Amino acid sequence: MRRYETLFIVTPDSSEEELKAVADKFQGVVTGMDGKVASYDEQGKKSLAYNVKKQSKGYYVLMDYLAQAEVVAELERNMRLDDRILKYLTVKLADDVDPASVEAVKPKPKKEAEKTEVAEEEAQSPEAQESEEEETEEETEEE
Amino acid sequence: MAYRRRRRSFPRRKVCRFCADSNVKIDYKDPKLLKYFITERGKIIPRRISGNCARHQREITMAIKRARHIALMPYTTIQPH
Ligand SMILES: [Zn+2]
Repeated sequence: MRRYETLFIVTPDSSEEELKAVADKFQGVVTGMDGKVASYDEQGKKSLAYNVKKQSKGYYVLMDYLAQAEVVAELERNMRLDDRILKYLTVKLADDVDPASVEAVKPKPKKEAEKTEVAEEEAQSPEAQESEEEETEEETEEE
Repeated sequence: MAYRRRRRSFPRRKVCRFCADSNVKIDYKDPKLLKYFITERGKIIPRRISGNCARHQREITMAIKRARHIALMPYTTIQPH
């Protein structure tokens, strides 16, 4: 198998759910054709060096995977047809990679999703943390 | 002398910086590094100015062209002033 990476730009008005749907869809294309996703890295919203499809910003995503050449064609076909994808670029990283040598990191994007959720929770509910602190304070006072 | 006036300080070195420091990887996903090798109008700086060796200039050029394709770097800047 060959190792590729595809860097693609998702439209900036995407919601969390849409980004997850995009992640599932394109990882599914690779795994569905006996490929192996080594990493799926959502790099966040960046401003583009020039406007693409009238957008000046976009979410950059880097997917690193092992697959046959046909998978790249299929993946890029899907990206071309998907209105959420502004642009994509695939680079071959290595030829003749032993699939056993690379771990499929499927839970990684989920972990990243959790991280962003946690960040939101922190932003939304500082009260929860405060109340915990208050409880401990009360305990010490009683003693 | 016949030197062109430079508005921006280009990395002018006798030795190719990538040969001197092998830790620096040339990556199209790293526009911060690559921007040292383009002019303010976005053109690739020739190696007689940048000081890169032929091999690394080729890698830089490839990386810049990839970065341009995926909108990490500009093809051109129309209004630099
Ligand atoms: Zn060199």
